[in-house]
Amino acid sequence: MSELPTESQSVWATAASHFQRWRDGDPAALDDLVRLLSPMLWQVVRASGVDRTTAEDVVQTTWLALVRSGESISEPRAVAGWLFTSARREAWRVAKQSTRQQPAEDEALARRLPDEPAPEEQVVLDDDNARLWASLGRLTERCQQLLRIVAAEPRPDYSTIATQLDMPVGSIGPTRGRCLDKLRRELAQAGGR
Amino acid sequence: MMSNTDDESQIGPEDAELIAAIGRAWQQADPPPVDLADGVLARVAAEDLEFDLLTLVESEDALAGVRSGSDVTEADREATGAWSLEYVGPDLHVYVRLTRIEQRTRLDGWVVPARPLTVRLRTEEQDSTLDTAVDKFGRFELTEVPAGLARLTFFDEPRTASRPRVTPPFWI
Repeated sequence: MSELPTESQSVWATAASHFQRWRDGDPAALDDLVRLLSPMLWQVVRASGVDRTTAEDVVQTTWLALVRSGESISEPRAVAGWLFTSARREAWRVAKQSTRQQPAEDEALARRLPDEPAPEEQVVLDDDNARLWASLGRLTERCQQLLRIVAAEPRPDYSTIATQLDMPVGSIGPTRGRCLDKLRRELAQAGGR
Repeated sequence: MMSNTDDESQIGPEDAELIAAIGRAWQQADPPPVDLADGVLARVAAEDLEFDLLTLVESEDALAGVRSGSDVTEADREATGAWSLEYVGPDLHVYVRLTRIEQRTRLDGWVVPARPLTVRLRTEEQDSTLDTAVDKFGRFELTEVPAGLARLTFFDEPRTASRPRVTPPFWI
């Protein structure tokens, strides 16, 4: 996996400068922008509960929308936020469509954090992540879902998330706080942190 | 588009650190396909990014001020009156009317058949854009538009549904 800047400010600034270069006519800048943000878009889209194949399609659709209507972004620094929000909405739209074709219970189950990473992904978690992962798995499904969503992008748009989770926007902060507290207690019991 | 509430500012450093750790765990547990970015770039490259160009079929000017070329004069800019433009595309007709009163120009028009579209006016001199939406009767309006060479773009919502339709440049 490529190294990503974890500091949100630097991602925003780097994305803005790539986007500006691309708009100024440097086609290679789009490659840079796509490579920088696609892994994060992937996390945003997957957090919305779509399968891997659909997620890949949603990420592509999001970039096409940018290429088609990028001129609507007047402020280059807004480009990352625009992409994340577009991706989240598109993923949510697709996820809702597929929910209509199956009972809501299945959809809820499908979003559950697995006890172990899915075998198809063939990844080995390092010790820290494995402990965190095990503790996450002991939280409620709603906490798992919310924490995954807020962890997927540097500056999530809380109003979209509120719609997505069918929660009042004002309760996201407090719920996130309670979920993090529970996670800390689980980690403490597991001997971490 | 970014409408963050103050939720974000309430995240303390410890919470932020734990959230970042959760993010890293997910990156490791659910990594994207290795060719994700290549797939995106291939799809972008394969996409025909041409706009559908609308064709001017009719123009009627009450003030002899509209040119679709570049030979606009100061007298044109000072003029008062109304003029109209009509464009056709593969799947729609667009009527545009410009009304100038005391150096202020209003742009309105309608789309046939009526459909929900975003209308964007882009003026080339100021490199600025103005957006409005087509209402359920097919009408749209921009109450005040800047003078200069401009183009109108019509987008379907969602944007990905089709290619945008763009008018050739016209003078306001």
